[in-house]
Amino acid sequence: MHGRKQLIGWLTACLILIQPAITQATVPASPTSETQNCLVCHGREPAEKGGIGEEPRAPYVDMAALKTSAHPNTACSECHREFASGKHPDPRFRDAQQRKLRYALKCRECHSDAEITLKPIHARLLENAQEGDAPVCTDCHGAHNVTPISGGKVLQSERRYCQGCHEHPVTTDLRSGETLMLQTDLTVLDGSEHHMLSCSDCHFGFSSQEHPQRNFRTLRDYAIASSDSCKRCHFDKHTRTLESIHYAILNQGNQSAPVCTDCHGAHGIAAVGKDRAFSATRCKQCHAAVYETYAHSVHGNALINERNQDVPVCIDCHRAHDIVNPLTLEFHDGIPDTCANCHSNKRIMGKYGLSTDVVKTYLSDFHGVTLNFYRKQKEALLKPGRPIAVCTDCHGTHDIAGDADTDPLIVKGRLLKRCQKCHPDATENFSDAWLSHYEPTLEKAPIVYLVNLSYRIFLPVMVVGLILQILLHIWRYAVNR
Amino acid sequence: MKNRKINGGMIRRFSPLRLAEHWVNAGAIAVLVLTGLAQKFHTLEASQWFVLHLGGIDTVRLIHHTAGVVVILLTLQHILATSFLVVLRKGQPGMLINKKDVADTLENLRYYFGLRQSPALCDRYDYKQKFEYWTILTGQILMTVSGLILWFPTVAARFLPGEFIPAAKALHTNEALLIFLLIAVWHIYNAIFSPDVFPLDTSIFTGRISRERMVHEHPLELGRMEGIPLEAVLKERREEMHLLDAESPLLH
Repeated sequence: MHGRKQLIGWLTACLILIQPAITQATVPASPTSETQNCLVCHGREPAEKGGIGEEPRAPYVDMAALKTSAHPNTACSECHREFASGKHPDPRFRDAQQRKLRYALKCRECHSDAEITLKPIHARLLENAQEGDAPVCTDCHGAHNVTPISGGKVLQSERRYCQGCHEHPVTTDLRSGETLMLQTDLTVLDGSEHHMLSCSDCHFGFSSQEHPQRNFRTLRDYAIASSDSCKRCHFDKHTRTLESIHYAILNQGNQSAPVCTDCHGAHGIAAVGKDRAFSATRCKQCHAAVYETYAHSVHGNALINERNQDVPVCIDCHRAHDIVNPLTLEFHDGIPDTCANCHSNKRIMGKYGLSTDVVKTYLSDFHGVTLNFYRKQKEALLKPGRPIAVCTDCHGTHDIAGDADTDPLIVKGRLLKRCQKCHPDATENFSDAWLSHYEPTLEKAPIVYLVNLSYRIFLPVMVVGLILQILLHIWRYAVNR
Repeated sequence: MKNRKINGGMIRRFSPLRLAEHWVNAGAIAVLVLTGLAQKFHTLEASQWFVLHLGGIDTVRLIHHTAGVVVILLTLQHILATSFLVVLRKGQPGMLINKKDVADTLENLRYYFGLRQSPALCDRYDYKQKFEYWTILTGQILMTVSGLILWFPTVAARFLPGEFIPAAKALHTNEALLIFLLIAVWHIYNAIFSPDVFPLDTSIFTGRISRERMVHEHPLELGRMEGIPLEAVLKERREEMHLLDAESPLLH
């Protein structure tokens, strides 16, 4: 056996001696003769994996990888010291981890601590080693395909540094058994609002020096924890979300409640507000039924089918970050202001021939006056009496319809039903009490108009007449004296 | 009226019922005006302060409705009691407007402009008082009707077109302003600031009026009351006017 191995060794040595003259031009680096010897057995790709009770197979070494590695000309025995051309002891390891650890220590025989700690991340890893968490060089750098993390390139930026690992499909297993994909596509980041940012701007705690071990239970836990990064820059938005219903629900333990990244995305972060139709689809992810209703309303239809950018989307009424519970009386009482944002705006309403008096007429009528008093009462910490009809109580919320093309009788019938929600004994005539946001005119509400007109004439005439009488009386008195 | 007593130059002018009516009406209207104007001018800071300090708009409306009921009952009482007295011939319809009131108005205007030497000769109520009385009375009836429509809109809509509800609101708010201005300008002047009565016309509180004022303001009634001819009353009046006349060359 030994003789044959030696013969092969010598033949190989001779071959290597003459080889450079033949192949210098084509092969830049070639394994040493010793390596060639080893690869006779270890270079054979195993047809099948070894198992218990089978003949143990020789560990496979990919020559191509070895050739392109940082150590193309290092002989096997330079790392595997106990082996040599005539020496092949039986390796005995407790497990794969022990084997890896053992061989990783070999790296440090050439690569001194002084050398490797020039890279801060190594310094940090070595500090950990003192605490019993020994670094395994090959975990990051590979074994036979050993390579600098940069892949031979010079790392100029933190991003490139991180990408050294994270451009590969690296994953980590979470406690729940879910797998977290750690691969990041930089092109996505470059196309995002955050294209100027560096990895550690968001992934704080991580750097070219630090790579702390995180321990998440589920993917959702990870997403929620990660969105905490956003507040470092967007603190104003963060404080607003603290008042939101989503935050309240999250706090109550419902992990489905959305966090920053659920609406904005993570690496492909977008300014959601820029495309209004897009922003509505964010909410649709959870509120699909509401979105469907909205899509058929006069607002949603214009947004989706006409690409109209004037109509309100979800966040215009519910707000984006400080989304309050829309079922509270506070939200309900604020609805006239919400609608007024657009419906009192002459520039927007003018485009569609809509009146801007709708909010004013509401606020000066019975409901509006009462509502305003209730709102003031609330500020003064008095309890308001009861809910007062606001815009949505008559017009609907997500299903707001335009009534320009609807038969007035149908509109009237619908209105009566809405009146009866608060005035259960209302009869057919009752809904006519509401002047449909019109200022009373001779055509629209003649009785109201005439009452107002007669007082507008009579009242000043009477007051002026009485004052003149008084002045005449005083004058006469003065003259008489 | 024969049963009116004359003592110490004071003449009984109003019965205790009228004094009570005035007190109740004045009180109720003051409450209604305050609680009503706070709602009419709801955007004013003062209105909001007032409403909040009364415990909110619902309390204000409760007070307004209660005072409204008082006025409704008082008005009904007044109309029924007065009609009853007139029908039974126990009282005179002194407030009825007649041709003489028109003539008195014109006469007085001429007097004010110096075209006449003396003011018009008036009976129990002069044309100014009648104007005020009828404006307030019709006002209170209008306020009652429109107020009830606003208080019970669904009931009203069973009998009336829906438009009557906003119309009632327009009427209520305008009429309220009218009554308020009439009282604030005309009544307050005539009862407090007028040189004839300053600092206060106490007759509606004491029920008595001085004979001197009767000579000037209600000569016809005084003559009838004392059973003396009008000429005698006018002579008294002229004597006093004459004193003034000597000082004032404008009057001839």
